[in-house]
Amino acid sequence: MTEKTATLTLVTCTSCGKTIPPGTEATKFFCPNCGEIQIRRCQKCRKFGRPYKCPKCGFTGP
Amino acid sequence: MSEDEEIKEIKEEKSEDRITATTEEELLLPRDTLLSAGIHIGTRMKTGDMEQFIYRVRPDGLFVLDVKKTDERIRVAAKFLSRFEPSKIAAAAARLYAQEPAKRFCEVTGAIPVVGRFIPGLLSNPLYPNRIEPEVIIVSDPRADSQAVKEASSLGIPVIALCSTDNEFSGIDLVIPTNNKGRRALAVIYWLLARQVLRERGELPPDKDLPLTIDDFEAKIFREET
Repeated sequence: MTEKTATLTLVTCTSCGKTIPPGTEATKFFCPNCGEIQIRRCQKCRKFGRPYKCPKCGFTGP
Repeated sequence: MSEDEEIKEIKEEKSEDRITATTEEELLLPRDTLLSAGIHIGTRMKTGDMEQFIYRVRPDGLFVLDVKKTDERIRVAAKFLSRFEPSKIAAAAARLYAQEPAKRFCEVTGAIPVVGRFIPGLLSNPLYPNRIEPEVIIVSDPRADSQAVKEASSLGIPVIALCSTDNEFSGIDLVIPTNNKGRRALAVIYWLLARQVLRERGELPPDKDLPLTIDDFEAKIFREET
């Protein structure tokens, strides 16, 4: 009998660093300035307008 | 005054001139054009979120926005928008003065205009026949277009917003600080954004302008004859 394993990669919010649970109203988009790094914002950070910073170019939003 | 001091003064003047010339070159439109359109005019209210974009407070209590930061954000927003397919961009404008500029912007860039009342469910209701599925949305005023922001937030669509000094960042992913109430200011901002998007896409050479003028982007006022 073979065992099937599945891996689940949890993504973290760029603003707060917490893991984003699947199915929440989070967003992801490439850095508006450099377009190379994917920015992920959790529901709370979006709601409260918390700033995010691109780790590559240093662009700070929103 | 000694000779050394004179030379130092002249050098300082020259460096100041150079700084002014560079900043003039860096702006997308001449500073005078931007200022005459009133894109820097804010409101008498200030939010903590918008504090970073405020340049000064006038003696009458009006907050003034930093034109350089507006210019910088237009460039960033254009870069961001140019990475999406034109048909996957939506521009929402509930404000009367923002409707014509938004329509023109969509006409030039190929985006989807959502002017006037934002019908609830336009983005989120799968049973609604006229539903649109954009990947990014531009709103003219986060307060007036709150329904669009709300639906985009629930779907995880990035939101670009034109924010004045009295707006908050709730549900917004990229802010363009500008006067979002003035007729001319909205026309200038949308015109600049459209031109910059086309330049970023490579559809317009960097030294060429749009075939449409800023006046074409401006909302028209029709006066009833008595």
